[in-house]
Amino acid sequence: MSGWEGFLHGLSVALQPEVLIYCVFGVVLGTFVGVLPGIGAMATISLLLPITYYLSPEAALIMLAGVYYGSQYGGAVASILLRLPGTPQSAVTTLDGYPLAQQGRAGVALFTSMTSSFLGSFFGICVLIVLSGFLSRAATAFGAADYAAMMILGLVAASTIGAKHPAKGLAMVVLGLILGCVGTDVNSGAQRFTFGQAELMDGVNLVALAMGLFGVAEVIANIQVAERTGVPRRIAMRDLLPRREELKRIPFPALRGASLGSFFGALPGTGSTISSFLAYATERRISRHPEKFGNGAVEGVAGPEAANNAAAISAFVPTLTLGIPGDPIMALMLGALVIHGVQPGPLMLEARPDMFWGLIASFGIGNLLLLILNLPLIGIWVSMLRIPFRWLYPAILIFVCLGVYSVRGAPFDIFAVALIGAIGYALSLARFNPALLLLGFVLGPLIETNLRRALLISRGDPMIFLERPISAAFVAAIAALILVSVVQSLRRVRPA
Amino acid sequence: MTISRRAALIGAAVLTFATPALAQDAAWPSKPLHTFVGFPAGSSPDLLARIVTDPLAATLGQPIVIENKPGAGGVIGIQQMLNAKDQDYTFGTTINGPMTTAPRLVPDLGYDVAADVAPVALIATSPLVLVVAADFVADDLAGFVTAAGAEPEVVSYGSVGKGSGAHLTAELFSDRAGVEMLHIPYTSYAEVTTAIIGHEIDSGFMAPSAAMQYVEAGTLKILGITSQVPFDQAPGVPVMAGQAGLPDDFRAELWNAFIAPAGTDEAIINKLNADINVILADPAVQKRLADMGWQVAGGTAAELQQRIVEDTEIWGAVLDRIDAKN
Amino acid sequence: MKRDIPDLAGGAILAAIGLFIVIYAAVHYDMGSVRRMGPGFFPAMLGGVLAVLGLVIAVPAWMRAGQETPIAWKDALAVLVALLVFAAGVERGGLVPVTVATVLIASIAAPDRRLGWRVLLAVVVTLLSVLVFHYGLRMTVPLWPS
Repeated sequence: MSGWEGFLHGLSVALQPEVLIYCVFGVVLGTFVGVLPGIGAMATISLLLPITYYLSPEAALIMLAGVYYGSQYGGAVASILLRLPGTPQSAVTTLDGYPLAQQGRAGVALFTSMTSSFLGSFFGICVLIVLSGFLSRAATAFGAADYAAMMILGLVAASTIGAKHPAKGLAMVVLGLILGCVGTDVNSGAQRFTFGQAELMDGVNLVALAMGLFGVAEVIANIQVAERTGVPRRIAMRDLLPRREELKRIPFPALRGASLGSFFGALPGTGSTISSFLAYATERRISRHPEKFGNGAVEGVAGPEAANNAAAISAFVPTLTLGIPGDPIMALMLGALVIHGVQPGPLMLEARPDMFWGLIASFGIGNLLLLILNLPLIGIWVSMLRIPFRWLYPAILIFVCLGVYSVRGAPFDIFAVALIGAIGYALSLARFNPALLLLGFVLGPLIETNLRRALLISRGDPMIFLERPISAAFVAAIAALILVSVVQSLRRVRPA
Repeated sequence: MTISRRAALIGAAVLTFATPALAQDAAWPSKPLHTFVGFPAGSSPDLLARIVTDPLAATLGQPIVIENKPGAGGVIGIQQMLNAKDQDYTFGTTINGPMTTAPRLVPDLGYDVAADVAPVALIATSPLVLVVAADFVADDLAGFVTAAGAEPEVVSYGSVGKGSGAHLTAELFSDRAGVEMLHIPYTSYAEVTTAIIGHEIDSGFMAPSAAMQYVEAGTLKILGITSQVPFDQAPGVPVMAGQAGLPDDFRAELWNAFIAPAGTDEAIINKLNADINVILADPAVQKRLADMGWQVAGGTAAELQQRIVEDTEIWGAVLDRIDAKN
Repeated sequence: MKRDIPDLAGGAILAAIGLFIVIYAAVHYDMGSVRRMGPGFFPAMLGGVLAVLGLVIAVPAWMRAGQETPIAWKDALAVLVALLVFAAGVERGGLVPVTVATVLIASIAAPDRRLGWRVLLAVVVTLLSVLVFHYGLRMTVPLWPS
């Protein structure tokens, strides 16, 4: 079945009334749980899992997927309005979305994020239709050396985000990499930096880290400040929607982000994290006004949002054809498939086209629904900011606690939130960028295991990184990027 | 003291001992039961627990709340079960690792398997299969052993981490077959299969359900299975025991069991064991477990106890060998 | 005498953390070889890099003036204590009393000194979290102390 035929077939599956109803239910529910900080899709999907037993496998998966990407729309709302990202991807969205909101332009940020998300997913579907066969082979072509080189490229590119103080940005990445070492070492089984706590054996909880670094730190910093300045009481309609020249700054960053997302998403693991950061770094690098980034640049929201939505779509290829889930939520969805006796694997595309293409088609329908649903809601979301902060922040703290607890039912993780929150507040006082810490944390374990794995496989020969064409290409890109930065900084020093 | 009076006294003593158990038997369970699972919702051990506890709740007439406490390969689930302190209403299901190898692999384990955990019933077992790429030089186990024996570490295998079932099984196999293979750890079976297909590594032990689709798709082939008898979910796969120089008693299986904190009322454990054995005899339950790659086991609590002791010994010896190598 | 205190302190602390990591990893974990990197190799290397970066941040900060950075000690304390109370109490104390306590403690930091709104807020937030988490998401946390 060609991609186009497959997609049309998928549409016929996804548009069946009973499937469509579950799709609508999933995206609406997803949006609302996504707005609640910290809870997101994880707890909701766990709860819905037993219910899916009574649905057809297609309806079940489409509903759960709806919760998943619906929660990404909702998560963008929490990130932009309150600086409460639940994932590294939405941490990138806060970089420029939150400054926009503080300038009273939350509506613009939300509009940009929603339209770019839609463009990203639309683009992702088109790529999938044309290249599904190619994408399903890409993952097996990537070896340990290639992954290690690719992730180091992602880190190097992203480190330039904090370009005003490169050392401070780099220090956050390295601190994140170190935090990523906590837990059981895959190769030796050694317990690293766990200090006798069994809860640390699987590493620091990502949601606790994100919530502490961003949410709790932000609450502490804002209790006094928000009361004094606040947000304009009356928000005029024209401030909700982007100005014409801002509208023009959405499509191209979104397209660039979507291309990055479609490619990296197909690589199992953290494709969507890398692509969000790369999209941000790319926009910053090619912009004529890089100084605007971090202070409310529309492109800084459009690129990464399009990238992570495009990546979410192509990520279903390795998830379904190799059974490698990109994150714990994808793993849950694989569990849902297994409940229905559907084993993800190489035969999925041919043996279950209903499932595969129905899901892809439902992405298109669901994203359209989300756009239609969310654009009118922008006014309501923004008016949330009119609630005095002293009413908001205790509620935020409770939702953060319960959200973190819902991940795996460990009170330990709430203690961790408190400690990380204190660290996060200290970092914000000294103007360190916590998004880079999160990036290092996510990529660290992958870089280390792939690096060590590559050297085990090559029996200790480091030339493996240059002998494999894919890895060699990434190594060349890393070298080029470092060279460009060095030349640029030299040029900056000389003319002064 | 006449004989009859003494008999009456003994009888009374027996009664006083027996009465609490009987009284509790009639009243138990009077509230919902909690079952701790050391893996997240939707994972294979979680689904297995639910397949058993759903009918069990119906038999007992009380709901069973599944408490997912994932982490540390299932160890957190047992720790949390032992912390719950709601005696006779707290139980757990666990895979073999936390009951057999965890004391060796996890410092500060926080519990002593023999003293703190009471076995209830073995639910199911899962053998592993040895998988290689479809174009691997050998087509059977003897050929594989010849290839692997040509030179130390010339053949590599993937596992899902140090001390995992896949790692220990491969080391047990190497030991018994007299070969030396290169261990490459991964984090999931899906990654191992991908690496074998991409020719990054040569082989790996994994659950049959993880491999079967790739065999059908023609990218992987299976050389043998670690159970003592052929397995329905891996049709046509030869048993490894007794082949290619392996001893006849060669066996390596993962398992999943229902457990309770030590100190749980004996009568309750016996009742649960009987109820679980009835549930496991149901063909519908057997089919659902088989679809996930599990073979129904059952048996008495004492048999489970023996299995724990035996496996602790077997895998302990393998761990000794691994530690000696490094 | 002007110094950039945030960068100075931040850099110094990072350098100290880096140094600690190097020493801790070297003492506790095997370094291995290039072929078989031990569990200590990666963290020790990273710790070294972090220590150097910390110095790169801290040393120039010694010689330049920085912005004044007020620290919200009281707010930080109230928020952190609230979180700790929730963490300690959630499984044994029950959702309702723990949520009320957490909200009341956290709201101490707010500039509005009155009591009425705090109580109202505690009631509203507790109601919301019980509805969403206990009834909506079926979280297995007891509502009241057992």
